[in-house]
Parts: sequence; C-alpha cells; structure tokens
Amino acid sequence: MTDTGRPEALLPLALFMVVMLGISFFVRWQARTGEGGFLRQYFVGNRDLGGFVLAMTTVATYSSVSSFVGGPGMAWSVGFGWIYMAVVQVTAVFLVLGIFGKRVAMLARKFGAVTVVDILRRRFRSDALAAMAAFIIVLFFCATMTAQFVGGAKLFAAVTGYSYELGLVLFGLAVVVYTTIGGFRAVAITDACCAIMMMIGIVLLFYYVLEMGGGYAAIMDHIATNQPKMLEPFSGGKMPAGLYLTQWILVGICTIALPQSVVRGISYRDTKSLHRAMIIGTVVVGFMNIGVNFTGILVHGAMTGPVASYGGIDNIIPITIATVMPSTLIGFAIVGPIAASISTISSLLLVGSSAIVKDVYLHYREAQGKTTSDASLRRLSMAVTAILGVAVFLIALTPPSLIWLINMFAFGGLETAFFWTLLLGLFWRRANRLGAFLSMGGGTVAYCLAQGLGFKIMGLHQITIGISLSLILFLIGSFLGEPDPKEVLREFFPE
Amino acid sequence: MTEKEKYRQVCREAAATGIALLILIAFWLFAGFGFSGSSVTIFRLPLWAAASTVGVWIFAIVLVWGLTKWVFKDMDLGDERHD
Repeated sequence: MTDTGRPEALLPLALFMVVMLGISFFVRWQARTGEGGFLRQYFVGNRDLGGFVLAMTTVATYSSVSSFVGGPGMAWSVGFGWIYMAVVQVTAVFLVLGIFGKRVAMLARKFGAVTVVDILRRRFRSDALAAMAAFIIVLFFCATMTAQFVGGAKLFAAVTGYSYELGLVLFGLAVVVYTTIGGFRAVAITDACCAIMMMIGIVLLFYYVLEMGGGYAAIMDHIATNQPKMLEPFSGGKMPAGLYLTQWILVGICTIALPQSVVRGISYRDTKSLHRAMIIGTVVVGFMNIGVNFTGILVHGAMTGPVASYGGIDNIIPITIATVMPSTLIGFAIVGPIAASISTISSLLLVGSSAIVKDVYLHYREAQGKTTSDASLRRLSMAVTAILGVAVFLIALTPPSLIWLINMFAFGGLETAFFWTLLLGLFWRRANRLGAFLSMGGGTVAYCLAQGLGFKIMGLHQITIGISLSLILFLIGSFLGEPDPKEVLREFFPE
Repeated sequence: MTEKEKYRQVCREAAATGIALLILIAFWLFAGFGFSGSSVTIFRLPLWAAASTVGVWIFAIVLVWGLTKWVFKDMDLGDERHD
C-alpha cells in the first residue's frame, strides 16, 4: 500500500464522515426514550420524516456512485442521447411515492408493519413467500453494496492519490458504523446531507469544467465541429431505440418496486410531507441527472483524446476532477460521488438487516410463541447491521471483476421479483398467493438464467424477459389458484 | 373519510400517477425524437436536446405539482397498531 496522496484532498472527506457519525450518535441519543418501540424507531424512524428529508433520502438512495462516474463518462462518449435516456429518471421519486406512498403508509400503520416484506406476508398469508422475498433482498442488496463500496473506493484512489484500501476504510467503515448506531432516522438525515453534497459537487465540477474548456460557447462549438454525432438522439448508432426502451423499464417505470424505495413510503409523518416530497424529489433528481451528465459532455472542452488514452470510460470523471479542479477544492468535489455511494449503502444495509431480523428471525420466534424484549432486539438489530456491513466491506477489499454488471444485474433482479407482486398484490383483489409465489420465484429465476446465459430477445436487456414472465406467471397463478380468504381481502380492500 | 373512501382515493391517486407517467412518456417522445429534424438551436443546443432534457424535467415538475394540487388529497393515515 503506497499512500502518496494529497492531504488537502483527504481532509474534507474525513470531516464529512465525522459529521455523518456525529449525526448518527445525536439521533441515537435523541431516540433513547424508545417511543413507538425499538423496531419502528430503528427500521422506519418512528414514521416521522418530513417532506424535505423524505425527498432527499429517496433521491440519495436511488442515486449511486455510478450516477457520478460511469454515467457522465458515457455522456462524454455518447453525447446528448445519453442525457435524453438518463432524464427518464425524473420519474424515480414521484412514481414510487405517488403509487405506493399512501397505500403502504396506511397498511403499515394498520398492521404495525415496518418492512415491505411484513406487508407482503400479511397480504398473501405466506411465510414461504416472505422468506423468499427476504432472501432475494439480502442477496441482491449485498451485490449492490459491494459495487458501491468498490466504485467509491476506486474513485477515491484515482482522485486523491491515496490507496484503494484507505478509501474503503475511511468511508466504508464509517458508513457501517453510523448506520448501525443511528438506524433509519440517521440514515435519512445523512442521506439528505449526502444529496446536498452531491448537488454542490455537480455545481463545482460544472463550473471548473467550463473554465478549463474556455467557456460554454467554445466547448459547444468544438463539439459541433468535431463530434456532430453527439448532437443526434441516436448518436450515430451508439444509442439504439432498444436501449431507450429498456432504460425506461429498468431505471424508470420498474424502480417503483425497489424495496429500498418502497420502504420510504412507510416512514413519513403525514400526507402533506408526501406531497411535498414528490415535488422536491422530482426537482432534485432531475437537477442531478441532467447536471452531472451535461457536465460529462462538457468535459470535451478539457479532454479531447480518444477514450483509450484515458484508460476507459470509468476514468473520465476521476481524471477530470483531478485535473480541472484547484487542489484546494478536490476534496470537496470528491465528497459528492462518495456521498452517492454511502447514501445507497446505508439504506440497503438497513433494509437488508430488517429482512434478516424482522422478516425471518423475529417471525420465527413469534411463530414459536416466544417474545423478544426491546433490549434483545436492539442488540440483535445492531449486530446484524454491523455484520452485514463488515461482510460486504471484506468482499470489497478484494473487488470482484465485472462489478458494474453485478450492480445492474441486482437492480433488474429486485425489480423482477417485486414489481408485479407489489403492484398487483396491493391494488388487485384477484391477486393471490400462488400468483405472487410463481411471479417472484419464476420471474427471478428466469431473469438470472437469461443473464447467466447471455440470452436476450431482440437484443433487449434481460429485464424485459424477467418482468414479462413474472407478469404471465402472476396471472396464471391468480386465475388457476384459489382466491385469497375473504377476511384478508376485507383488510386490504375495504368494502 | 371512511376507510373505504380513503382506499378509493388512494387508488384514484395511483391511477392518476400512472396516467401522468404516460403523459410524460408522450412528451418525452415528442420533445426528443419529434424535434430531432429541426434546425432550431437554443443556447447552442439543438431544439430536441434542450426540449428532451431540461424541457422534460420542467414538464415533469409541473405535472407532479398538478397531481399534488388537484388529484392528491390530505388524509389521516390511520392509527398505529401497537403489538
């Protein structure tokens, strides 16, 4: 390990992590009264989020480090077609909160639920389905978290000159500690801080990229003269129509079913907060997606060589930060992308932990007629969160190859598993246990097989196979199987 | 509101959100591919590039504002069940 980095680049990030830890300890201290029970406090913040924090935590959880590294790097290569595709993500907040926000909030209060799996178990009266859902969550979340750790640490090493391992220790261990200590409320507040830092990072980078390229007009004239294909929607064949279609499905419509987003619907205070969050979230997610990718295109003013000369697409933004930013500001610029990484990790860590503690262990105990004290739950929940975080941290120390593919694979897997089960389960009376089971199990297996074998239909991403098959299986199961008991339907669909 | 009325309202809001999505997709198609043949530029950007990025974003904000103002209603989310 050779650390020949710039201390001035390290300090802002270190300070930021100290603030995150401070917030976590403060939240923990505030929650010492334990109002509402430990589980509700730890896993959904006692359902007390206001509109601003709800919006920011939803955006920050959704935005990953690849939004700041791979995305704008591709925009640099492809042009405005890439932003045209990325802008579909303006739907990421209002869709999930508009469709599921009130539905899950009311059901969670009615049943005392603190996880999405809690609601599914109640709706379909199936422990097997709940166990499968919890397994899918933990499996795919571990893959996503590893990708975030690796992406953040690689960026850290490339920009600051310090080692990959130091970066991992600096922000990786800190995020595990503050999530373990503070629970959901700390995660939501730190997410809001992260989202603000992401926006500041984008503005800083945008400004210095413009300055380095000789101004907006000069850069755009350079692109129009030397890279005219970048000004076309299909970008000379780099952006086929099928890619637009699958991105609408993968990062637009189906994101409503991501459990880490849906759980935010059971964490807010009142409907005014929800409505406010839908507007604020749409403003912020659009600003980030357009801002960071537009900045990626403008990097053409500073970096005009072929992509191979920079060592690949993923190196474009780290090299840009290291070269265009004044050394005193590099540390601030890197906080934004690292914030995107840690805000995703913290949320996934907590939902993954709740799947193990609440959806599996606690349910097993209750089924045996055993009770668990708040003190035991506190120790167990914190231990599971810490163990899960440290396990992923250790995997990231020896990063697996093809990590970005693993990240997108996990995204599609979660959507395949939960999209129809949540949408039809919560809004369609005829939806039943057999349909949900076939859809979640069959769809996910088909999606994984298609990914593993590299099988595609008409060249489209395998999410199209997973989501189509899971719908077909849901409908087959629902029409062939017995309707759910009347008392369940009355609970979910008041007459 | 009774529980049944709340449920119906929540379904209305979810359906309206779905319709808003379809309207946004139509606008996105029109603003991008629809304007791609135009030679008009705005701030040195082709019309399609400006309309399909910043234009879609602003349109989405207006759409969501409209949803929350005219479709979504404030309601009590119910009492917490304590086990």
